[in-house]
Amino acid sequence: MLLPGFDYLDPKNLEEALDLLAVHKEDAKVLAGGTDLLVRMKKGLLAPKVLISLKSLNELSYIKEEAGCIKIGARTPLADIIASGTVQDNARALSQACEKIGAITMQHYRGTIGGNILQDNRCHHYNQSDFHRSGHQACHKNGGKICYARENADRCNSTCQSDGSTALMALGAKLVLLSKGHERTVDLDKFYTADGIMPHDMESHELLKDIIIPINGARSAYRRLAYRSAIDYPIVCAGVLVRPSDSQKDRIDEARIVVGAMGRAPLFLAQASSSLKGKKLDDTDAFRKAADASMDSAATFAVHNVGSTLEYRCSMISPLVLQGLKEAASEK
Amino acid sequence: MEKIEITLNINDNPYEVMIYPNDTLLDVLRDKLDLTGSKESCGEGVCGSCTVHMDGKPVRACLTLAMEAQGAKIKTVEGLANVDELSNLQQSFIDHGAVQCGFCTPGMLMSADALLRENPNPDEKAIRKALAGNICRCTGYAKIVQAVAHAAQPQDDCCDCKSKE
Ligand SMILES: Cc1cc2nc3c(=O)[nH]c(=O)nc-3n(C[C@H](O)[C@H](O)[C@H](O)COP(=O)(O)OP(=O)(O)OC[C@H]3O[C@@H](n4cnc5c(N)ncnc54)[C@H](O)[C@@H]3O)c2cc1C
Ligand code: SF4
Ligand code: FES
Ligand code: FES
Repeated sequence: MLLPGFDYLDPKNLEEALDLLAVHKEDAKVLAGGTDLLVRMKKGLLAPKVLISLKSLNELSYIKEEAGCIKIGARTPLADIIASGTVQDNARALSQACEKIGAITMQHYRGTIGGNILQDNRCHHYNQSDFHRSGHQACHKNGGKICYARENADRCNSTCQSDGSTALMALGAKLVLLSKGHERTVDLDKFYTADGIMPHDMESHELLKDIIIPINGARSAYRRLAYRSAIDYPIVCAGVLVRPSDSQKDRIDEARIVVGAMGRAPLFLAQASSSLKGKKLDDTDAFRKAADASMDSAATFAVHNVGSTLEYRCSMISPLVLQGLKEAASEK
Repeated sequence: MEKIEITLNINDNPYEVMIYPNDTLLDVLRDKLDLTGSKESCGEGVCGSCTVHMDGKPVRACLTLAMEAQGAKIKTVEGLANVDELSNLQQSFIDHGAVQCGFCTPGMLMSADALLRENPNPDEKAIRKALAGNICRCTGYAKIVQAVAHAAQPQDDCCDCKSKE
């Protein structure tokens, strides 16, 4: 399969990369591991004029503890995150999520965490060859005015199937975005646009620098379902976090339940999460109720566009959340 | 798009080659350097038939630009044998009937070779995990797993293979 033509630029440091992004803007795409971008380009879904490679930017590859947080550089390969002791100890959901992404030979060495978060949303009507798509009227994401996944939808409902983002949202992560002369930090919760065509609230001249995860004594877990676990994207997944209270160690002070692959962004379920505040760490009944409530809320967002039946995906939300909560609560 | 001259280090030999920026490593190996051992099947990262090593790690050559492979030590299936003597792993694949049509075999060998370098004595679970990204439509996998286990540590009772004789 051929790639469309482009100019390849290989900046030698961050400053040069930001200069190039400022010049080329929407004509350019950042190339990290390429395991999402190059597939989309091969399928004719996009044809950037310029690729700006992160190959020489080793300064974007690190995992460190700093000021009560874990900082992970955007170009860090998934394999390094899986191997990291501090991620295993303080952000287990992320470690578990990265381990589930694709196959060792596929993503773990080339694929990066930045690319994982910023990979495009997917839909089985859209992520197809030119030939397949040429047999249908174009949908919203392809420049048309209809949606095959949800009747009469005024916008694209493509699904965010990033394992990493679901885990990171549960962990309360923030992203640091750079552009020439400017830096901003956003909560991952607030990084999504609610439109499947451009799912991320990010400008074309911005570069993801790193990801910040608070270390605060919370415990977390990640669960997912996919057809073939080593090859396929998740069709439903859940990241959960519980933080025991400082004064009463057997009680939950904060819980975060996030369901992924069921909407245009990972879904933070605020009500289900807050229902666990003050509950005991072994209160399975409360976990079950929160898991059922998560299922009820998340199911309203999902459309049938990533394989399997919608009924099955929805019905599996509750068991995945419940398993995650039990595992997180019993950690250590 | 202009052609660019790059140098790739493949199986410990330097190759100077003129490429386009949109050539993948797999395109260059197969079409420009005649190293046709690495196979293209899906071309989109799903099957693993194009697996090669970059700096000892298995990666998909169909999703790696040749430009990005500059400076790395690349190893392909052609680099496994020692002149005309097959590696233990290759011999074990033959002995165990782990090859049928053979299209997945180069990728399987490269994934397995990377595993054995990192973990010389893997259990069955580790072998299955390391090969999970390589699809085979013929063998049913059992014989491939046996072949890798045997290459790691020859076992008397693994099957009726020749190599235990
Ligand atoms: C067969 C197959 C199976 C897969 N399975 C899964 C799966 O199970 N779960 C999953 O989550 N993903 C999966 N993926 C998708 C992908 O491989 C991973 O998400 C991977 O982590 C992407 O990282 P990358 O570095 O290769 O991204 P790239 O392809 O390099 O980049 C992805 C996007 O992010 C942008 N980008 C990357 N880094 C930056 C940065 N620092 N600043 C600004 N923009 C940036 C790129 O421009 C591009 O648009 C799969 C892919 C394939 C082909
Ligand atoms: S969700 Fe609808 S508009 Fe979006 S890609 Fe799928 S079919 Fe197209
Ligand atoms: S040809 Fe590269 S993974 Fe299938
Ligand atoms: S031997 Fe035919 S695909 Fe594996």
